[in-house]
Amino acid sequence: MTRQAFMTRLREGLAGLPSQTVADIVADYETHFADAAAAGRDEADVASALGDPSRLARELRAEAGLKAWEENRNPSGAAAAVFAVLGLGAIDILILLPILMGVGGMIFGFGMAAIGVFIAGGAVFAIGPFTGIGGGPAVAVLAGIGLMAGAASLGAIVTICTIGLVNALVWYGRLHYRLLRPALEPQTVGVAR
Amino acid sequence: MPEAIEIQLKKGALELCVLALLSQHESYAYEIASKLSDSIGMGEGTIYPLMRRLQNERLVDTHLVESSAGPSRKYYRLTEAGKASFISQKAAWASFSGAVQGILGGVK
Repeated sequence: MTRQAFMTRLREGLAGLPSQTVADIVADYETHFADAAAAGRDEADVASALGDPSRLARELRAEAGLKAWEENRNPSGAAAAVFAVLGLGAIDILILLPILMGVGGMIFGFGMAAIGVFIAGGAVFAIGPFTGIGGGPAVAVLAGIGLMAGAASLGAIVTICTIGLVNALVWYGRLHYRLLRPALEPQTVGVAR
Repeated sequence: MPEAIEIQLKKGALELCVLALLSQHESYAYEIASKLSDSIGMGEGTIYPLMRRLQNERLVDTHLVESSAGPSRKYYRLTEAGKASFISQKAAWASFSGAVQGILGGVK
């Protein structure tokens, strides 16, 4: 493969990342080719020593998505991580997809139920005392608070499950790195961590 | 099997080797990549993601140096945290490899 072809495929693969990140990565590999040429090496040899540019780009992009999750544990970070893992396009991940969607749907259902029960609790709390149903205002107020508290704990459990699921997915996705693996596995020894 | 153990060994040693090279003198990515691929046979492409990670962890920082030929070059050097990390990783490596050597030496 020529330098041109390598850089084109790398650029294509990185599309969608922040432009500053793409520029940094592209500049690194451009310099690599320039330095290798100065050392008298053949372009095709250099390209093959670097590895498949599409694969490299896929893994770099996946890593950017997974990092977004690790830095911001919020819904958009979670979405970035899920898409990053799917973007790796590994066959066993695609086989896993139906199970993942089932579990995801279940979590979504519980989340919606938590919101629904919370709203219902709010309604019982606010309206109940004036309807005269049951054992009077105090019972309605307490029942409303009880429903809302229950919904909040269900919501918390759902959140914890979601975070755990995304973390597991991130771990599983990283198992699929081939080119990046030696570079991204941190050493366990060290003072800076 | 021998291949698998070789990959594992290289994986573990790569960061240590990069820190060791940089502890001697600051350097640029191509020089690091070519030295490492010559001596430990590491794929050259892995060096760039590794340098990015070391930079994110503030173990190295970069500065541009004017080059006599072509555009200015990005040099990497160890930060104080990088030096400290190198010293502790080197000590861990020495005690581990010493222990392994001691066991291997006893096996005829």
